[in-house]
Amino acid sequence: MNRANFVLPEIELMSSGHLGCQGCGGALAMRYVLKALGEKTVIVLPACCWTIIAGPFPYSTLKVPVLHTAFETAAVAASGVRAALDIQGDTETTVVAWAGDGGTVDIGLQSLSGAAERNENILYICYDNEAYMNTGIQRSGATPRFAWTTTTPEKNPKAERKKDIVAIMAAHRIPYTATATIAYPDDLIRKVQKAKSLQGMKFLHILAPCPPGWRIASEDAIKIARLAVQARVFPLYEIEDGERYTLNAPHEREIIPAEEYFKLQGRFAHLGPQEREQMQQEIERNWARLQRLVQMKAPSDDGA
Amino acid sequence: MAIRTQSLHPHPSPLPTREREQSYSKVITGNHAVSYGALLARVQVISAYPITPQTQVVELLSEFCANGTLHAKFIKVESEHSAMAALIGAASAGARAFTATSAHGLALMHEMLHWAAGARLPIVMANINRAMGPPWSVWTDQNDSLSQRDTGWMQIYCESNQEVLDTVLQAYRVAERVSLPAMLVLDAFVLSHTAEAVEIPSQSLVDQYLPPYRAGYKLDVSDPHAFGGLAPPDVYMELRYQIQKAHEAALGEFARADEEFERLFGRRYGLIESYYADDAELIVVTSGTVTSTARDVIDELRAEGHRVGLLKIRLFRPFPIELVRQALMPAKKIAVIDRNIGFGVGGIFAQEIKSALYNAPVRPALFGFVAGLGGRDITPEVLREIVDYAETHQEPEDLIWVGVKT
Amino acid sequence: MGRAITFRSVAEMPPLAISLDDISHNKTGSWRYLRPVYRNKIPPCRAGCPAGNDIPRWLALVAEGRLTEAWKTIRENNPFPGITGRVCAHPCEAYCNRKEFDEPIAIAALERHVADEAFALHDEPPSGERRREKIAIVGSGPAGLSCAYFLAKQNYPVTIYEAESQPGGMLRLGIPSYRLPRDVIDKEIDDIVRLGVEIKTGYRVGRDIDLERLWASYDALFIATGAYRSRPLGIPGEELPGVLAGLDVLKAINTGRKISLGERVLVIGGGNTAMDAARTALRLGARVTVIYRRTRAEMPAIPEEIAQAEAEGVEFLFLAAPQKIERVHGRLRVHLIRMQLGEPDKSGRRRPVPLPNSEFVLEADALLKAIGEDPDLDFLAEELETSEGIVIHNERGRLSRAGIFLGGDARTGPSTVVEAIADGKAASKAIQRYLRSPSRTASALLPERFAPEKIKLNTSYFAHQARVPVLELPPEERQHGFAEVKAPLWLEDAIVEAQRCFSCGVCNACDNCRVFCPDVAISRVNGLYHVNLEYCKGCGICAAECPRGCIDLIEEGR
Ligand SMILES: Cc1cc2nc3c(=O)[nH]c(=O)nc-3n(C[C@H](O)[C@H](O)[C@H](O)COP(=O)(O)OP(=O)(O)OC[C@H]3O[C@@H](n4cnc5c(N)ncnc54)[C@H](O)[C@@H]3O)c2cc1C
Ligand SMILES: Cc1ncc(C[n+]2csc(CCOP(=O)(O)OP(=O)(O)O)c2C)c(N)n1
Ligand code: SF4
Ligand code: SF4
Ligand code: SF4
Ligand SMILES: [Mg+2]
Repeated sequence: MNRANFVLPEIELMSSGHLGCQGCGGALAMRYVLKALGEKTVIVLPACCWTIIAGPFPYSTLKVPVLHTAFETAAVAASGVRAALDIQGDTETTVVAWAGDGGTVDIGLQSLSGAAERNENILYICYDNEAYMNTGIQRSGATPRFAWTTTTPEKNPKAERKKDIVAIMAAHRIPYTATATIAYPDDLIRKVQKAKSLQGMKFLHILAPCPPGWRIASEDAIKIARLAVQARVFPLYEIEDGERYTLNAPHEREIIPAEEYFKLQGRFAHLGPQEREQMQQEIERNWARLQRLVQMKAPSDDGA
Repeated sequence: MAIRTQSLHPHPSPLPTREREQSYSKVITGNHAVSYGALLARVQVISAYPITPQTQVVELLSEFCANGTLHAKFIKVESEHSAMAALIGAASAGARAFTATSAHGLALMHEMLHWAAGARLPIVMANINRAMGPPWSVWTDQNDSLSQRDTGWMQIYCESNQEVLDTVLQAYRVAERVSLPAMLVLDAFVLSHTAEAVEIPSQSLVDQYLPPYRAGYKLDVSDPHAFGGLAPPDVYMELRYQIQKAHEAALGEFARADEEFERLFGRRYGLIESYYADDAELIVVTSGTVTSTARDVIDELRAEGHRVGLLKIRLFRPFPIELVRQALMPAKKIAVIDRNIGFGVGGIFAQEIKSALYNAPVRPALFGFVAGLGGRDITPEVLREIVDYAETHQEPEDLIWVGVKT
Repeated sequence: MGRAITFRSVAEMPPLAISLDDISHNKTGSWRYLRPVYRNKIPPCRAGCPAGNDIPRWLALVAEGRLTEAWKTIRENNPFPGITGRVCAHPCEAYCNRKEFDEPIAIAALERHVADEAFALHDEPPSGERRREKIAIVGSGPAGLSCAYFLAKQNYPVTIYEAESQPGGMLRLGIPSYRLPRDVIDKEIDDIVRLGVEIKTGYRVGRDIDLERLWASYDALFIATGAYRSRPLGIPGEELPGVLAGLDVLKAINTGRKISLGERVLVIGGGNTAMDAARTALRLGARVTVIYRRTRAEMPAIPEEIAQAEAEGVEFLFLAAPQKIERVHGRLRVHLIRMQLGEPDKSGRRRPVPLPNSEFVLEADALLKAIGEDPDLDFLAEELETSEGIVIHNERGRLSRAGIFLGGDARTGPSTVVEAIADGKAASKAIQRYLRSPSRTASALLPERFAPEKIKLNTSYFAHQARVPVLELPPEERQHGFAEVKAPLWLEDAIVEAQRCFSCGVCNACDNCRVFCPDVAISRVNGLYHVNLEYCKGCGICAAECPRGCIDLIEEGR
């Protein structure tokens, strides 16, 4: 019998010595994704923290081919790689566009939407650390409401809600959209493997805590990701063809108040009771909405 | 011979036997000449976004892909920026990649043009010269392509539809040998939408000229490497140095490509082309379709006894400095016609030629003419006016606006 | 792999920025200021077990259905899993970390399960040569047997001298079979005999053989004669017929003698003897009332036993004490007085004091005294200092003569089986130390207790799950016989229950640390984990995500 909490593929395609910060959630996310995908994988990497983590010339952190590309081009550069592999007869290799939240929900959204609309046979993964971290913690469209960043200082924290990229992708009716976090590696790996098995565009949104950017202790990176799920700040779910929603197993365990999640993070330290209450309500509204979507029956005659 | 080269390609040509084995003549527009060039080059990945006056290029290529004439993937992206990004992905994975654009499309690509060159990818692109807005204009001038001068792309300015088709083939041959991207440039409407008889070479002959693309480095799961990672200051310069060296090598490659082209197809273009320049006192310097008009005007003026000649700049990047010097030094005067304006200085070709001559032992007097912006016709009369001005003035002038209503 | 690459000239360089090696030349270990160190800890259950039972380790084996190995593992510290699994007060469970989460692990029931499943198994006799030094043990209760077991496993020739006709001490004479079936005792003693231990029954030291002779024939002695002298009530009428020592009644029943107590029995006392005497009297057909001078909370008996007695119909009278016994018309008339709790005494319990004018009377056919026992160490008189009639012995269990050790109830007064086992084990070690260097006077017997360590659990990885219930015979069925009250566990339940164990402080190769390291700096070889300090950045995630606190973070450079 195996007592392992998580039985992950043994393969390690990420090398030690990489340049991720202590406790980098994005680094861990990549490690899991490559475990799920194996050697026949190409990673397309736009500007983001991973540009650095991946290692300077002439080194590479990853033991699979990596194409560095411009900030806003992850999805389309991956489309190009896909086309080139296909035309050369390689339909087996998984082409992954691996972008940060800024590269996904902001500057890269156009090319992402284009690739989704074309239903490119690629796996787009957004590792979401909820700000532009590479450039030193500036707000992005994925920064949560009220969070501190260097462009949303405590006295004037971000007023707007986090952009719902998953809803945007679901609206493209792509075959598969899912959320995951580094705290549930088995769930994450299962989703990557599922994505790999499907043809067409797949989108995976991975919450990847950033210890310096979130002002958390590095050892809490997993804990925070777990709390995000337990508090339903970042629910784990899957969407097939943009309309069949499934909530995932971790939500069967107890629900905790969002305060548990906020209180460990320096970026929320300035929040007053009112803001905290507002956030809690927002989380509950989102959750209720998600519940409705899960219950929604997909029209069987759709898709014509 | 043809059969051997044929087998190098993983996919047999889908063309009918006649077109595969025999060249034939066809009346086509410049845009379609581009498409035929890409077809014969057997490009594998195309990605493009429509913009006047380029649209027919991609329309015909779409048709080729759809009807199986061309075995390629056409990624119909949502912008030119994405088109170039897609090709960067495709070329990095070892595919022969092609696109076409114009003006604003090219400007939008700018970031990715640097990327393609820095990544040493032999992507070929046709740019239909169109004036930049605002105000909106769809007509020809060269500011769009010349704005991309320092991106590291090779640039070839074409004069005829035949040259357009042939240049697509030459561009791939050179690009793939020196690992640099190449842009062939043709004037909006004057070439793009004007039909001429063009000899379409046979596929088997083209296959001899242009073997399948074998990338030196590519994304390969059995030999994984990272491409384009962060380069610290201690290595960046050497990488840039190598791009310059590749440009220098490209001059020789172009010359050889042209010679080989002539051997197989019976036509050559040169990197530059001199016309009655050997004994000319005044040499008119042109690029693009103005050249054709200028040739007629030179013929007339010679008949009238003027000692005028013509220098056509075909290859703008890499700039064939030595050839330009040799061609121009014998003259007393040079009249450079720029269908572009480098704001704050003057015509861009004039600047290039001036700097080419600066270190030359002999420097003829140079007159810089800016003409035909935004599609205004450069007629024989305009050219005569230019020659007349240069002949009648002794002091060189950096910037002379031609035809501005004052 | 892992080269540092320097280009001396552009000619050595590729034409584009392409990687030529992985990044592993970059030794990120230099970033670290906290270093993760694997260190297993003593879990509270183990620290709570006087015998130092390595609980999480054998629970892990049970969880995998590896019961034989579990049995062997238990027996590294405790030779009597079948016995302790049934009668031990299991302090381990009181300390079990799981009780804060939901309910403690059913350690005792699992221990019994393991022993039951191993009923046909026996130890291999130790290999290697027998040692020359011979050891004699006086008394074959759990203390003496435990000492014999641990010595025999080390190849020492051991002889036990036992006054009674059968070995086992209070296990056999005191504890009734409805709690501890005789075949279990026989089996676990037999296991020890099979190791080569000789048990000479019917030898009362001081009567049948004297201590000096033993001392002359053996190289070391261990005295483990228990505590048998029932304390007197010290009230008038104590000597009347019908007033009996509870322990004597138990002894009689347990050795198969027939005894009749009549219809109405009073038991005085609140300990295990009182409970067993009461429950035995009940089984002999009497109506039984236990009279205790404090309240239920202060009763020293195992709570489970009190509950069982109550379920069976034993009545309780708290805050009352006898003052005088009379015999009237062949029956006993017992004069009692109500008590109340006053100031705490030395033991910390509140001292009971009589409530004035609250006398009352109860009639009974028999009264069983069960207010405690004292050791009878007269035969040791030479070795002991006495002061006002109370035996004073060396705190550490060694008597004034080096080489003679004292342990079990004889040392501590009435205690528990597991304490006796712990004493026996400690004695075996003390004896070995003594034999290695007889001159060393410091050889101590005091059982080594494991100090509990601070363990930071991460309970996110544990799911709530109810403890497996241990079924009992219905009370009606218990009243009329001596069948075992507690039912065994099913194997499936045992496995599920064992899987509930957090394995506090004891790495069970759950792999979390390796899974969560963002720097791929943890490897596992043969179930053991290793941090690659060349790369570990000291983020601390491995320590934080270890469910059972097996990884410490220590400051670098210290
Ligand atoms: C009725 C009763 C119920 C109990 N229930 C529990 C329970 O449920 N759980 C629990 O943990 N504990 C219980 N105990 C306590 C437990 O039985 C004792 O603490 C334990 O047996 C002490 O072990 P020991 O080896 O020190 O002494 P004992 O078990 O008393 O063994 C001493 C042995 O020495 C022998 N002996 C005495 N004098 C001499 C001599 N001079 N020469 C040779 N041999 C001699 C005796 O015959 C006896 O066999 C109970 C005790 C009683 C009386
Ligand atoms: C066109 C362009 N604009 C700006 C930048 C600068 N830039 C590089 S990475 C980055 C932020 C990336 O943020 P995100 O995508 O969230 O990834 P992260 O760094 O947080 O991992 C920015 C703004 C750039 N490289 N390119
Ligand atoms: S959970 Fe297991 S290891 Fe922890 S205290 Fe309880 S029995 Fe011992
Ligand atoms: S998780 Fe890895 S990097 Fe972090 S402290 Fe543990 S071994 Fe070191
Ligand atoms: S995390 Fe699991 S495998 Fe690692 S030390 Fe803790 S118990 Fe052992
Ligand atoms: Mg980010």
